[in-house]
Amino acid sequence: MTAPSSPDAPWPVRTVARKVADWIGRLGEVWVEGQVAQLSRRGGAATVFLTLRDPAADMSVPVTCHRDVADRPGLELTEGARVVVRARPDYYVARGSFSLRATEIRAVGLGELLARIERIRQLLAAEGLFDAVRKRPLPFAPAVVGVITGRDSAAERDVLVTARRRWPAVRFEMHNCAVQGPTAAASVMEGLKRLDADPAVEVIVVARGGGSVEDLLPFSDEGLVRAIAACRTPVVTAVGHETDTTLVDHVADVRAATPTDAAHRIVPEIGEQRRLVDGLRTRARALVTGRLDQQVRWLDSVRTRPVLASPDRLLHGREEDVLALRSRARRTLVHRVEGAERDVEHARARVAALSPAATLERGYAVVQRIDGSLVRDPAEVGDDERLQVRVAGGRLPVRVDRGPAGGG
Amino acid sequence: MSTAENAEPTTTYEQAREELADVVRRLESGGLTLEESLTLWERGEELAKLCQHWLDRARERLAAAAPADDAGRD
Repeated sequence: MTAPSSPDAPWPVRTVARKVADWIGRLGEVWVEGQVAQLSRRGGAATVFLTLRDPAADMSVPVTCHRDVADRPGLELTEGARVVVRARPDYYVARGSFSLRATEIRAVGLGELLARIERIRQLLAAEGLFDAVRKRPLPFAPAVVGVITGRDSAAERDVLVTARRRWPAVRFEMHNCAVQGPTAAASVMEGLKRLDADPAVEVIVVARGGGSVEDLLPFSDEGLVRAIAACRTPVVTAVGHETDTTLVDHVADVRAATPTDAAHRIVPEIGEQRRLVDGLRTRARALVTGRLDQQVRWLDSVRTRPVLASPDRLLHGREEDVLALRSRARRTLVHRVEGAERDVEHARARVAALSPAATLERGYAVVQRIDGSLVRDPAEVGDDERLQVRVAGGRLPVRVDRGPAGGG
Repeated sequence: MSTAENAEPTTTYEQAREELADVVRRLESGGLTLEESLTLWERGEELAKLCQHWLDRARERLAAAAPADDAGRD
């Protein structure tokens, strides 16, 4: 053990370097996977230097290896290649630098790469990054469209030309990126970050033409997929041909088949919209006019109904009623007067029939006392009483005389 | 009884229309006193004018909103 260091007894550099080297040397061997970011072979030097980058994080580590390891037949070590490295952390005491000392480098084959992409896809899917509920609707007619494509690429031209033709008012905020190789993913992410931060940009298109599976690998980069998921602005992807599916297509809010298709998705077609508006306008007008006409016809029909159109009809029936009642009243009255006349006639006839005059006419006489009462019994009257005898011809005053001859 | 002549009647077209239909129905079904039927008829005339007013207004507004194809109008 070395004595502890102090301002009075500092360690020499070699002591520190050896101690660090010892400690690092004890870490042992690891298998590391990454992407070759830089590769340098210096002339005939026996050591090859490379930088191994994490594809999903902004981290890298220097790797050194013997030339034989790097140049092993069958291993095509190029920048951008995915590799699995067997290495031991190493501290180079002469320079005080850290590196991984590789004893074996394996290229990650295409099948392996696709299997890896599939694993990442499953991982991200499990996290919910591809869920339909995360998909945001695109703005209807965005004023500014962010476009991330390779400079002067066919994809760029397809997006710009098609979108402008469909919606001439559209403006673009461009970000030209590397579309393949080890820097592509980072370059696209940088564009996303810039365009997403721009409040004027309403939708972002990431477009790239077709290419080999390896060319399209950056678009399955986990970091890029997460960056798209984190965007606040809706993202449309159009990467490769329709048959190529990269992970960005899963996370994008809209996956377009081609850059031209992306242009169709982001802006409406102006002529079509005009026709649509015209059509709607015509329909609306026809509906309102039709409705109005219908109401006018209804009102006309109501106003021509007899009860409203000729109010004198209200009186017609009533006048006739009055006339009829009046004539009924008159008839009734006449009838009753005639009846009364007949009654009077009958009464008169009966009075005539009951009158004593006819009896007197036949020779009968009525005897009355002075007070007018009728005499019905000789015993009722006294001797010498004056009486009146009434015959048909008139009255005859008489006196009662019960002489001897009278045998009453 | 003269709301039909006001510039801005408070009765809507639908209200007037509904009441008018009711008035006609009652007039047609009969069984009313003369005074009742005359009052109803007057109300019906008033409502018909009100309806006409709204429909005329609607036509004017429709004409005012006519697109350029309506020759010269803005």
